[in-house]
Amino acid sequence: MAEPATDFTLDTAAALASEEHEVAIVGRSPWYLAWRRLRRNYIALFSLAVFLLIVIACALAPVYAHHVAHTGPNDTHVAEQVNVGGHERPVIGGGAQFNAKTGKFEIKQVVILGPTWWHAHGKFVLGADNLGRDVAVRLLYGGFNSLKIGIGSALICTLFASFLALLAGYYGGWIDWFITRFFDLIWAFPVFLLAIALGSALSVNGFHHFGISIEPGSLWIPTLVISYVLIPYIGRPIRGQILSLREKEFVEAAIGQGAGPLRIMFSDLLPNVASTILVFFTLIVAINILTEAGLSFLGAGVRLPDPSWGNLIASGQNQIVTAPWLALLPGIAIVLTVLSLNIFGDGLRDALDPRAKVRIER
Amino acid sequence: MRSRQGLTRILSVAAIATGIALLSVAYAHTATRPQSSQSHGKTFGTFRAVIDTIDYLDPQQSYTAQSIWAMWNVYIPLVTYQHVDGAAGFRIVPGLAASLPTVSRDGRVYSFKLRKGLRYSNGQPVKASDFKYAIKREYLSTGQGVGFYKTIRGAAKFGATLKGDISGIQVNNARRTIKISLTSPRGDFLTILALTFAAPVPSGTPSAIQNGTIPSTGPYRISNYTVNQGFTMVRNKYFKPTKYIPRGNPNRVEVALVGDANAAVQRVINGQADYTNAAVPPDRIASIKNKGKLVVHATAPANTYYFWMNPSQAPFNKLKVRQAVNYAVDRAAMQRLVWGGLGRSTQNILPPTYPSYKKLNLYPHNLAKAKQLIQQAGASGAKVTVWTRQVSDALDAAQYYTSVLNSIGLDAKLNTLPRSTYYTTIGNINTKAQTGWARWLEDYPHPLDWFDVLLNGENIVAQDNNNFAYFNNKKINKEIDALKKAPILTSAVNAKWTAIEKQVMQQAPWVPWSNRVWPEFFSKSMGCIHLQALYGVDLARVCKT
Repeated sequence: MAEPATDFTLDTAAALASEEHEVAIVGRSPWYLAWRRLRRNYIALFSLAVFLLIVIACALAPVYAHHVAHTGPNDTHVAEQVNVGGHERPVIGGGAQFNAKTGKFEIKQVVILGPTWWHAHGKFVLGADNLGRDVAVRLLYGGFNSLKIGIGSALICTLFASFLALLAGYYGGWIDWFITRFFDLIWAFPVFLLAIALGSALSVNGFHHFGISIEPGSLWIPTLVISYVLIPYIGRPIRGQILSLREKEFVEAAIGQGAGPLRIMFSDLLPNVASTILVFFTLIVAINILTEAGLSFLGAGVRLPDPSWGNLIASGQNQIVTAPWLALLPGIAIVLTVLSLNIFGDGLRDALDPRAKVRIER
Repeated sequence: MRSRQGLTRILSVAAIATGIALLSVAYAHTATRPQSSQSHGKTFGTFRAVIDTIDYLDPQQSYTAQSIWAMWNVYIPLVTYQHVDGAAGFRIVPGLAASLPTVSRDGRVYSFKLRKGLRYSNGQPVKASDFKYAIKREYLSTGQGVGFYKTIRGAAKFGATLKGDISGIQVNNARRTIKISLTSPRGDFLTILALTFAAPVPSGTPSAIQNGTIPSTGPYRISNYTVNQGFTMVRNKYFKPTKYIPRGNPNRVEVALVGDANAAVQRVINGQADYTNAAVPPDRIASIKNKGKLVVHATAPANTYYFWMNPSQAPFNKLKVRQAVNYAVDRAAMQRLVWGGLGRSTQNILPPTYPSYKKLNLYPHNLAKAKQLIQQAGASGAKVTVWTRQVSDALDAAQYYTSVLNSIGLDAKLNTLPRSTYYTTIGNINTKAQTGWARWLEDYPHPLDWFDVLLNGENIVAQDNNNFAYFNNKKINKEIDALKKAPILTSAVNAKWTAIEKQVMQQAPWVPWSNRVWPEFFSKSMGCIHLQALYGVDLARVCKT
């Protein structure tokens, strides 16, 4: 039997290549391919390392406070002296003095202890604030609070928004209409305005409804407020993707095989938007850290005396001339964290889907 | 010729005589002119001030120190305070009244007579009935001072119905007389009449807030006002200076409203303004003092900053706990960390400007003793919520206070409220607030404005309390009530107030910690700077070099 002139074999390209090079090409999962792309992106990996370092440092705040600085984040040391390199220095010195003889005030500058850089046995490494508290301890605790709120609210927001987007995109109809109007309702308010209003209102008496009790001053308040106000910024684009995927053949095939709505949503649709959700998550963490900083700066986020990077900047601005580190250090911490997260998020997006144009529009 | 020479001689003698006579008259006029109005030589063009904010420019509504600072020279009550420096500034003097009133033996009836020829800045005559209308308008406009005048017979009824008349004020426009009858004697009544709330306004002035449009009786009138931007004061051409109220040096006063203290200070440094009373951030005070004239004054407005502790709420129901907190607070350190040292430590309720002030030292700073007292009281670990408002100095003070409470063994946390809702929340009896930050700036210089308003348990009501500690000691209430009747602060009366103050502080419902002083910042071009004990910088007496 003669060989056909043209080989119309249905062999895969992989099989053909393997014949040609005599090596087996192993099928790679999209996640593996993404990881391979990501590990070539050194800037993204460096950013991830920076972010993880910040997270670890902040998580170790209690250890640092207890074993190194020997003070809590809210402990004041207003009348204490600290031995810095063999010299006794007041934590808070100077200030105007009333002269009883002249009956007048003698104007003098308040002197706040600056960074001791380990010359005081770990005390006041980054100096003191205007109430004589250890800035390094407050910076770490503040970072821990900011990260808890940033990551926590991003998790809640992403999960809740993705779930709503799945429901809206899959079912369509009145469910879609209802959920989309809910997104529109939140979207109608400027993010900060809504967050400040909610944060201020809840911080007075806390939240005590539906069997849930949150005390004023709890970190849950800024966490939930930020989660809530950013829901449509994730929910809407994911809903769009679900709407598009809903019309694909694999969904029809699943329906044809008798798959129920839950299985289609979570086994077929969700994996197809997982990479988008992941990228959104990294970007929203950065946005939430910034939002928290803004809210706390304005007094509607983490309540004093508990520190957060935002309220540390607010407290430090009154001493910006004489003790600029009080506002600069938390500012630098915010910049480093947000920048590292944004660069890593961009790298992750490129790795997961080089053609994707995922970005959060506000 | 002789006759012509004789005529010339006669004319020359007459001319010399006339000259001498004119000089004598001029000298006599100068010599009899009131001392306070000898300021014509210091008259200058425009005085440009920058202040942070005002509430209203309506005499029946203004209540903030900034507004009253300006209004003091615009709307004059029947009695007022002298334009002088030092303690003499506390002395009550006639304002629109021709003299101080005659007071009946039982201290219930005050009789005044208005000065002759008084006119408003629009030329309209000032009538005795305008005083009555001002008090009625206070009620009609629900002014912030209504509480002060309820002792006038018939005022409370008018306040309730807003109809009819106030029977306790009888006026005669033809004779210019005003007779005020009180339901009970009130020792601080003259000081209450000296508030701008009681400044006469033309009868029929609408009860709605009139920002600067009501004709004035003082040396200045308000010529324009732009909300949140500023206002201008110009001379009132119908004003006649008196022995106590000068004509004023600046022809015009331009007041800009700038909320940012740094920006306000910068305006003075740049020469765009002559003066600001902005609360300069503590870390800038030392650096700006060479860029202008920095004046610190400790009298106006007389104030006490304190933390209150509610004796009806645990753990502050125990005297030892309240005393422990008083021992624990380092008052000297607080002056430094809250306002850069521009404050004087105190353990007194009254500021040092009061004649009855006698420095108390019941609770010298002693942390060890404080911890011991907490243990003795069995209050270790007791949960405490510290209340404060969202203003930087209050936040700083309350954070320190919270830290101190924790350091002596209590379990304290801070609850911060917005500025706008703070006092209404802690002044509500149902809030059951345990402890928190407060301050009191005097309304008028009388101990009753402190003890009766802030610490007399008989005045505790369900809402809008000023007695934030809800301090209610029957013996002390009785003593305050007895002193209400004393019409004059004699040394015997002052001694009783001193004793009451000590008794209160032995019960320790408060932790008084500061009498704050305010820096006033002037440009280098300012010459005479005068500080009135009650109103601060006296803009009628400022002058330029």
